[in-house]
Amino acid sequence: MKKLVILLFCAFSAQAEDMEVVGNVQSKCIVTPDTAGVYGNPTPDVLSTDPTDGGVDPVVRFDVIQASMYKARILYPTSFSESPALNDVVTWTGDVATSQVSDTGMSGYDAAKVEFDNVTEFSLTVAGSTWFKTETQADYGYGKAFPGGVYRAVVSAECIAI
Amino acid sequence: MYRYLILLLMMSGYANAHEFTPTYPKLKNSYVEGVLYTTMTLFNKRPDVEYYQFNVFDKDWNKVPFAMQDKTMRIKHLEKKKIDVYIREKDRKEVKYICSKSKLVVGGSSKTSISSRICSKIK
Repeated sequence: MKKLVILLFCAFSAQAEDMEVVGNVQSKCIVTPDTAGVYGNPTPDVLSTDPTDGGVDPVVRFDVIQASMYKARILYPTSFSESPALNDVVTWTGDVATSQVSDTGMSGYDAAKVEFDNVTEFSLTVAGSTWFKTETQADYGYGKAFPGGVYRAVVSAECIAI
Repeated sequence: MYRYLILLLMMSGYANAHEFTPTYPKLKNSYVEGVLYTTMTLFNKRPDVEYYQFNVFDKDWNKVPFAMQDKTMRIKHLEKKKIDVYIREKDRKEVKYICSKSKLVVGGSSKTSISSRICSKIK
């Protein structure tokens, strides 16, 4: 009887074994809209996201896990996606720049950026997070007042593998 | 080491992002002769976006014909979806980028919206 108890104890006792924990860090880019932009209307013919004009610059965050695998491409708008009927030309200007970085190595991003048309490209050469703000302004006609209504434009934030 | 840990924690904690992986997908033979495919994963952490559009491009950003279940797909907030992208074998050398783009809903107040696009590269 005693032997049977010992046998049962041995059969059900916990066994120590090595267990494996497996992880996989893969290269990826994550695009996160951080701040929605708002147009200020400092003069009747201007809509601007500049805070000095009463607007809010839209901010988007790019996270990359591994360095030099992606480039950020940000396009400021050149048309409204929603607006009242406009019968004159709208002139668009814009500028994209870093507003915050998670690593001091990213401080050179602005100096190295490439700009053409409404596009600004940054090579994401350092792993971490970078916040980019886009300042955009729309001027209507020759000193013409924008008609009343809702205006909406879209900033495009692209992360492209290189 | 801690820097990467903090970065990983930051990335996992945000629930307002667009994620499209892998960075460098590999084309494989499909069950149909002359057709290749790759599986992409889209994780929608943007609460303001429910639809994503997919496209395939060559190195000069010209569109390349491709097939998938739906080229514009509904992916709910915090949903992760595996997507098979099918490409003709004869286009193998042309294909360079597979992209996903968020589709924004028209409406809302007078503000600037942000559209996100992530492109993976076939090497």
